[in-house]
Amino acid sequence: MADFAMADLGYASLLLSLILSLYAAGAAFFAARRNRLALFASARHAIFVVAALTTLAVGVLEWALITHQFRFEYVALETSRAQPLLYNVSALWGGQEGSLLFWAWLLAVFSAVVLIQNQDKNQELMPYVISGLAVALSFFLALMTIVTDPSKSGLFVLTPLTANGAQALVGNPFRLLDFTPLDGNGLNPLLQNPGMFIHPVTQYLGYVGFTIPFAFAMAALFTGRLNDVWIRTTRRWTLVAWLFLSLGLLFGMQWAYMELGWGGYWGWDPVENASLMPWLTGTAYLHSVMIQERRGMLKVWNLGLVMLTFVLSILGTFITRSGVIQSVHAFGVSSLGPWFLAFLAATLLSFLYLLFNRMDDLREENELDSLLSRESSFLLNNLILVGAAFATLWGTIFPMVSEAITGKKVTVGAPFFNQVNGPIFYGLIVLIGICPLIGWRRATAENLARNFLRPFVVALVTALALFVVGVREWYGLFSFSAVAFVLATIGLEYYRGVRARMRQYGENPVKALLNLISSNRRRYGGYIVHIGVILAVVGIAGSTFYQVETQANLKPGETVSLKQYTLRFDSLPIYSTENHEVVSASMTVFENGARVGTLSPEKDYYASPNPDQSQWTTEVAVRTTPLEDLYVILAGFDAQAGTATVKVIVNPLVVWLWIGFATLVAGTVIAALPDPREARALARARVKEALAQV
Amino acid sequence: MSSMAAPTAERTASVKTGGRWKFFIGGLLILGAIAYVTLSSFQTNAIYYLNLKELNAQRGSLINQPVRVNAPLDRSSIQFDDKTLVLKFNLKDENLLLPVVYKGVKPDTFEQGESVVAEGKLGTDGVFQASTILVKCPSKYESGTPAK
Repeated sequence: MADFAMADLGYASLLLSLILSLYAAGAAFFAARRNRLALFASARHAIFVVAALTTLAVGVLEWALITHQFRFEYVALETSRAQPLLYNVSALWGGQEGSLLFWAWLLAVFSAVVLIQNQDKNQELMPYVISGLAVALSFFLALMTIVTDPSKSGLFVLTPLTANGAQALVGNPFRLLDFTPLDGNGLNPLLQNPGMFIHPVTQYLGYVGFTIPFAFAMAALFTGRLNDVWIRTTRRWTLVAWLFLSLGLLFGMQWAYMELGWGGYWGWDPVENASLMPWLTGTAYLHSVMIQERRGMLKVWNLGLVMLTFVLSILGTFITRSGVIQSVHAFGVSSLGPWFLAFLAATLLSFLYLLFNRMDDLREENELDSLLSRESSFLLNNLILVGAAFATLWGTIFPMVSEAITGKKVTVGAPFFNQVNGPIFYGLIVLIGICPLIGWRRATAENLARNFLRPFVVALVTALALFVVGVREWYGLFSFSAVAFVLATIGLEYYRGVRARMRQYGENPVKALLNLISSNRRRYGGYIVHIGVILAVVGIAGSTFYQVETQANLKPGETVSLKQYTLRFDSLPIYSTENHEVVSASMTVFENGARVGTLSPEKDYYASPNPDQSQWTTEVAVRTTPLEDLYVILAGFDAQAGTATVKVIVNPLVVWLWIGFATLVAGTVIAALPDPREARALARARVKEALAQV
Repeated sequence: MSSMAAPTAERTASVKTGGRWKFFIGGLLILGAIAYVTLSSFQTNAIYYLNLKELNAQRGSLINQPVRVNAPLDRSSIQFDDKTLVLKFNLKDENLLLPVVYKGVKPDTFEQGESVVAEGKLGTDGVFQASTILVKCPSKYESGTPAK
């Protein structure tokens, strides 16, 4: 009966969390309006208890997943006895109910951390922050606990709370079956990849993380404290959330590259777009806040961007989990739709209502001076990023919209997204080079010539060199010379900073570089992020424009050649592992005639007692060098004849995409490290706010 | 949601005006350009998304036009030549049948497929030449009811 008691414990924790969240939302709001400090303290405590209770609920579900409590419907669906422990643990976010629980848990823990961080800061904002976070928490908790048919819930009978098949609005993770299956179905084999352990977690951390800056934005609107205090307070939350969205993109792309077996990492699939859109608007926000901080401008724009990023994060969760849009990564149809749309609509409407009420307080403190200034290049960067997000959104949801309005279903695929976002991203790359070199307020032609002459020469030389080695396509020439231009501008910026320090303090170059970075982590970390983006562009351009492939049906001893590679098919070993059968094509790789190694692409067979659930997966084999990936897929085989059909792809420069993202992550970490400079700026902003109140 | 729009009167009086309009017009031009590219590429790339009944009703006008079809998969019809990597199958909806040919690697979940979304062109011979296929499983990553 342990399963009954534990299911009750889990469900009761969630139910109590819901009640406490609703209480916290109301109490904090009321406390702020009527200035009741005791009530505010009580709301704070409620959030801490919710964090503890949702942690308990996660613990219960993990216990059930790990110890094979198949009476739990969720456990029976998402795990099996043969499944390795890692995948049983990660089954927490493998299914819908678990994902909702994971979301709610992360939000509760984040909320508690925010409360601790701001224990004696932002006293006017915090009640509204808590209230907003508690509303979001209540939404996710309600989806898991409110039951559609109360007569079946056994809620007031208490024995057992969940056993009677209480079907929640969307999904109760602690629902029990009326029998105990001997084994579970297990996670789909396609999800049994190390990517499963890391990609969803980082993606959710990013999505949930953006709730924090949004809650502060709403609190700023409620209180009318619309200066840069809320922005500076949440600077690191925003950076960390953005960092996790970037990691989510990185791990998602790697997973798709290795698992789906089509030789690519990005297909403009709705689920992929869903993770890109908040990243784009979040990137815009990270830039535009600098204008508000320095010049007191773009207040409405910043509020709008953070709202948009939050809404796109919720939409991302919704698109990923709901199955409303056809996707390679579809997760099955669910009843999430109406609830998420209602939540999105409510968020949007309350934001707009507050915004219009506050229009008078959102006056700009300055005006833009010149078209040729840092401000206007940031504005351009923002328009481009938001434009890309909207174009992507348009292509992603248009099929739904057009069906709803005209009854005709019209759709677009990858060519649309490439055609629209291609030029947009080219513009962005050039801007990354130009932007940091233009001064604030007003730049002069002289200043421009001084800053851009050398990078421009570097770009020209790169284009010429590429032309000489035989690159003739304009897109290749343009992409790689743009990359060279940007790297040169960033290099120049670093060079100047280092030289100045060496002259002023007599430091050696290495020490000067390190001190330069730590003297302004935000700025120089940002430049490292830019370098990362540019390296990623190298990988994207190479693999998009210069991919080549071939296929061959081979008997043992036969070879297939592509570019400078020759692959010899040696044998077709077949063997068993812990939970699946493996068919492996053992191949020897020769490069320009010299043996360089072996590759063994596989087909794995996951047998299931239910024949419909048995499934093959394709495991590609990849040999990576700085110049290109040799990517081999076992597309078919004949076990009796011992023959194999392989598809061989050469993907140039792919590794730079991964290196670029790693660099971007490193730069973001540097920018997010505690920075005395930023702390002083926040303190100044607080003083300024206090003076303005007097 | 342009924020450049609304400085107050007393501010604009002190700072030179006209500057604002430069930005406003510049911003509108850029947004306009992005919107134009989005909409025009949408029009050139938009394709019909049809079921078999709709495809059959409009087949005269759709020959050799790019189109996306979503229909139930007849699993018994699946043929995969793993030497040449040619996949043949039928999509079936009541009495309508559409033979589909796809050149490429067979998706891992194809055998469990309930329906298929195929993008490609309908040839004059009545065979659908698919350039991409997407399998819809009963619930792809969430398995069905556990067996007793």
